[in-house]
Amino acid sequence: MASAALPALSPALLEQPAVRVLSEALGENLLGASDFRGEVAITVDRKAWLKAVSLLKDHPELDYKLFLDLCGVDFLDREEEPERFVVVLHLYSVSKKRHVRLRTPVPEADPKLPTLVPLFKGANWFEREAWDMYGIVFEGHPNLIRLLTHDAFVGHPLRKDYPQGQRHVLKEPRKWLLDVPHGSEHVVINLGPSHPAMHGCFRVQALLDGEIVKDAEAEIGYMHRNFEKMVEARTYWQVIPYTDRLNYCSSFMNGHGWALAVEKLLGVPAPPRAEAVRVILSEFSRIMDHFVCISTNVVDLGAITPFFVVFRGREKIYELLESCCGARLTVSYVRIGGLAQDVPEDFVARCRETLDFVMDAAKQMDELLTRNVIFTRRFRDIGVMSKEDALSYGWAGPALRGSGVETDVRRDAPYSGYDQYDFDVPVGTTGDCYDRYLVRMEEIRQSARIIRQALDKLPGGPVIVDDRKVALPPKSEVYGNIESLMNHFKLVYDGILPPKGEVYGKTEGANGELGYYVVSDGSKHPWRVKVRPPCYNNYQAYPQLLKGGQIADAIAIIGGLNVIAGELDR
Amino acid sequence: MGVLDLLKGKFVDPTYAGVHGGGDIITTTVDAVVKWGRKSSIWPMPFGTACCAIEFMALTGSHYDLARFGAEVLRFSPRQSDLMFVAGTIPDKLGPVLKTIYDQMPEPKWVISMGVCASSGGFYRSYHVMQGIDELIPVDVYVPGCPPSPEGLVAAVMKIQEKIQTSQQAGAPQGAHRVGANGEGMYDRRARRAEWAKDDAERRAAGLPPRGVLTDLKPEPEIDHGAHHG
Repeated sequence: MASAALPALSPALLEQPAVRVLSEALGENLLGASDFRGEVAITVDRKAWLKAVSLLKDHPELDYKLFLDLCGVDFLDREEEPERFVVVLHLYSVSKKRHVRLRTPVPEADPKLPTLVPLFKGANWFEREAWDMYGIVFEGHPNLIRLLTHDAFVGHPLRKDYPQGQRHVLKEPRKWLLDVPHGSEHVVINLGPSHPAMHGCFRVQALLDGEIVKDAEAEIGYMHRNFEKMVEARTYWQVIPYTDRLNYCSSFMNGHGWALAVEKLLGVPAPPRAEAVRVILSEFSRIMDHFVCISTNVVDLGAITPFFVVFRGREKIYELLESCCGARLTVSYVRIGGLAQDVPEDFVARCRETLDFVMDAAKQMDELLTRNVIFTRRFRDIGVMSKEDALSYGWAGPALRGSGVETDVRRDAPYSGYDQYDFDVPVGTTGDCYDRYLVRMEEIRQSARIIRQALDKLPGGPVIVDDRKVALPPKSEVYGNIESLMNHFKLVYDGILPPKGEVYGKTEGANGELGYYVVSDGSKHPWRVKVRPPCYNNYQAYPQLLKGGQIADAIAIIGGLNVIAGELDR
Repeated sequence: MGVLDLLKGKFVDPTYAGVHGGGDIITTTVDAVVKWGRKSSIWPMPFGTACCAIEFMALTGSHYDLARFGAEVLRFSPRQSDLMFVAGTIPDKLGPVLKTIYDQMPEPKWVISMGVCASSGGFYRSYHVMQGIDELIPVDVYVPGCPPSPEGLVAAVMKIQEKIQTSQQAGAPQGAHRVGANGEGMYDRRARRAEWAKDDAERRAAGLPPRGVLTDLKPEPEIDHGAHHG
């Protein structure tokens, strides 16, 4: 591409600061830029990869400090792409409230790219994952070994030519995660993958000097169940049940995010009633997720009463979800373009009753914990995360806000009509466990506020879009006229056919920014889906939080990060 | 009502006809009493990995209250438990861990496979997910559902109690009746089980301890305290 002229960029694109700055600085190494569905994507040559990323991060006009996501994409046998692999980076600027996508083609013959670890601490695991899944080598990476798959694995499973069901058997797990110097007097302690305080399956090894943690290293992948490979063989709505099992403490929100991402790709918004119901159930799910997070966190520290108190409230929310869709945990209630069916007739009254009960439970938990001396001594000034490190690791949600970064997708990039509701974004000051707890407690109250407002002005009308290319026609029409029968047949048989393109749909999940990066080739199956899992970034910083602290604090810290294995390992 | 009335009919031993369960005296066998005690005080070990573990929490929580069946003492150490709930998907990376933990449980022990992922891999038919835990360990009760309802789990615990009462235990890996178990196709359970059994036998023949027993722990170095005391 060296002899190619500068790509012609439209004036509208050049108005985007990121495009303008990069095109001025990189010249011919900027291979192209696009604006699809309001998202700026810039393609650069890999020679300029590091320079482009550091410009995006440090240029005062751009200030993309929050690391979101890095992944590979395999464009096997796709004519329009110059090389087989593309590495895609997503960054966000908290100060400018802008999102950018940076792509770079990587040839199959020489799949190498310089590492971003010196720029973003969070890039470490993402690059390991990209190597694990696609075999893209990141030069200069400190520890490029398998992350999600096991050590006996052969091949790179997300490559398009890797058969979906090809398994490899592991007999012995990785024994040591840390280098223990020979003759060292330190003790190595191993937590997980089956450990009561590790909610789910992940593992950390700590090197102790007395009770002080000298060094620590984490390992994940024990719940890697191949979401991203599975959905490449599914149609767009068949993905919905899989999304439920990502963050299973708040299943509804994952489906909500997925539906919004696909609706963005299609350019088909859901009707207002569906959006309002989605907001109500999402906020209930957020409350539920925070309940599970806080109560199990303190169970690990020995306080079991809050668990019993809030689990009664959670059970009420389950009953509400069950009344809407028939399932308690894995709801699969959203559809592309709306909801599976309308809510029950007594929905508003039911919600109000549930909310009163739930908020009473939250109040009891607040009384039990917030001023509890034992609790505050275990939580205050423990696991302190600085603002800069939180951004560099790409933290999200209550954890990021606990460290004092004021950002919330619901407020900064409103979706589903969040701009109609009045709510506050709580922010912590010190970034310790106690701040993260306080942010969660306040978010529960704010969620209740949003629910009450949404219930007050719940609009009527249909709950699914009237578009026969996206949503199934009602059953009465399918059995009543031939056109609807054909629509039904075509949609089931051919699936939803979105335009070619890439979108990054983001929502504020219970754990933070949940993103779905969807690449469509125009067929009924998504070509590539990458989940931006919020707790992946949070957990990546866990070893750093442990270092220098007491081993007992490890348990207090892990619960507050709310690591959900299904979302962490996908 | 006295204590004896409460215990009426609890200590029936089918091998011993002389059970007398009324009045002031109960005659029975030690065996029947032990089984009754065992089934009424199950200590479960939750091997919770994924979504099913969340429903398992609902089972032990205040609403469904597993304590009514005497099984509320959750032990996170396999050495102190006699019933393992495998709740959630078991990826291949977790396989050896599951096997280790099962091997560490003392006999007699029972296993409940909770949900379709643990029972058959569920809808994750892919490169990193075990297609049913009976590839590795024997299972006593399979509970269907994704995830199963807490009621379904209560039924499973009652089934286990029945099995304890009648001294049944899954002796060998099962699942031979299921699709894909005939040794053909992509997911060959029998081959996998045979492989693990061979592996265990080889370890035994080589004089190695079973999996899960740590062997390469470094001995603590001698520290000379003498210089400081004086």
